[in-house]
Amino acid sequence: MKKILAIPAYIWAVACFLLVPVTFIKNEAFAEQLAKLPFMKIHPKYKGGELNRSYEHNGLSVKINMPVFAALFGEGNKGFVQVAFSAPAQLPEQIEETIDYNFDNSPDFRVTINTLSGETILIPLDQTVKSLYASSKVKDDWVIRVNLKKD
Amino acid sequence: MNKPVYATEGSIWKSILLTFPMIMLIFIFISGGTPDLSTPEKSIAFLITFLFLTLLFFMILYTGKTDRYRAWGFIAMALFFALTFIVNLIKARGSMTFSQENLLACEIPFCHIVTTMIIIPIALTNSIIFPGSIIGGFASIASMLVIVIGVSFALGRGFCSWGCFYGGWDDGTSRILRKPKIKKINPVFRWVSFAVLLIIALISAMSLNPAYCDWFCPFKTVTEFEKVTSFTVLMKTIVFLSLFVGLVIILPVLTGKRIQCATFCPMGALLSLTNKINPFDVRIDKLNCSNCEKCVKACPTLSLSTNDVTAGRPSITCMKCGKCVDSCSRRAIHYHIKGTPVGKHYSWARNLFLYPAFLLLVLFLGGPMQSGIIMLINLIKTGSLIN
Repeated sequence: MKKILAIPAYIWAVACFLLVPVTFIKNEAFAEQLAKLPFMKIHPKYKGGELNRSYEHNGLSVKINMPVFAALFGEGNKGFVQVAFSAPAQLPEQIEETIDYNFDNSPDFRVTINTLSGETILIPLDQTVKSLYASSKVKDDWVIRVNLKKD
Repeated sequence: MNKPVYATEGSIWKSILLTFPMIMLIFIFISGGTPDLSTPEKSIAFLITFLFLTLLFFMILYTGKTDRYRAWGFIAMALFFALTFIVNLIKARGSMTFSQENLLACEIPFCHIVTTMIIIPIALTNSIIFPGSIIGGFASIASMLVIVIGVSFALGRGFCSWGCFYGGWDDGTSRILRKPKIKKINPVFRWVSFAVLLIIALISAMSLNPAYCDWFCPFKTVTEFEKVTSFTVLMKTIVFLSLFVGLVIILPVLTGKRIQCATFCPMGALLSLTNKINPFDVRIDKLNCSNCEKCVKACPTLSLSTNDVTAGRPSITCMKCGKCVDSCSRRAIHYHIKGTPVGKHYSWARNLFLYPAFLLLVLFLGGPMQSGIIMLINLIKTGSLIN
């Protein structure tokens, strides 16, 4: 009886031997399948949020994302909004834009970016806007994230 | 009582015969089927890697010593992985640091330890709290998760001694002193890693931030870390450097134990749980055991205590490195396949474990070792690792 019970155990062990190379050989195919699962997406805190609106202004394409107020449950009080600037050819040396991130027809902050040095000056024009969180060239765009606090 | 002997032990022909399938696998997996011998450097790198791995596996079979030869490959894996990772980072980014651009572009390579920090947020926010790429590029999240899941099912926490490209650091430093300065360590410390796992998982979930990566991971010292641009980042840098020096160098040297792996790695704790879902474990044949406790002293991960010897098995934290098996003069402690009798079929159980475990080592070591050797040849020829 013990010998009979040992047979599936050995088969299990052999299957595990096969599982190791299969995991690596078929890694790309398995990864593609795994990536299709609904939870396989980067959290907006890292991705920068969904695109909310984009427009052209002063020869620049301005993309404003949805504000992110990340929390484990619901929404937090503190968050950020990501804005990306891009140009058809090359980013200008100086970017100066006034942004209305919540589209209430009232400017929320003014930003001045020196794209050569990276120096970024943020002037809050609304009480929900707190400070600059990040400002960097990302591929061909210049991306800023601005800290927000809910009213 | 005579010490049981493995079928291949001391027999050159049997060892060669059982090494042969592994030779084929090593050839296929380190060359992709066709070795790239287009330059002398690549040919030398391939040849050295192939011979090194083949020799290790042969010696494991021929001498009956598992850990003694596993450790060579495992430590080489850690060193070559760090070398190639750092050199490639410097080639791509110009330094070991990652910048705000890399974070905003979600270009940070995903390592297996992050798995412990993303589970709760996945359940509650349906997304992954890590600035990496889901698929494509180097070390994508989906690709690494597939490896973690596959290897967990195959080897459980055996990953920590055969596949983890960090573990070789403290495995190596724990072997520096022949006789450790601190001899008595309470085995209760092996449960600390579970506390670390719990705390890290909760902090990461609450802050939606992979806290261990951000603050504590000592292995950032030998991979990549955030560019120091603020006081907070400076504090983080001091913390992970201190942990590397303390947990990966000083304490392993003094104790002869893999302190980082045994007490501070949250991934190790998570993989301990997967020890339950794979067929391989280590068992003690109590009829043959003389209670000398050499295995307890040998275990580098605090997984064996007097009580465990009495119970006939190491704790759930066992990393299947084989050091206890090597230390037993009566071979009372041995690799075992669940569902088969204890104290019998030593060779079958050992060989069935060794093939997938060693193959994992080959898969993780093959590429970095070849690249690393080419870099070292270039260093000798040109004086620079980066060419």
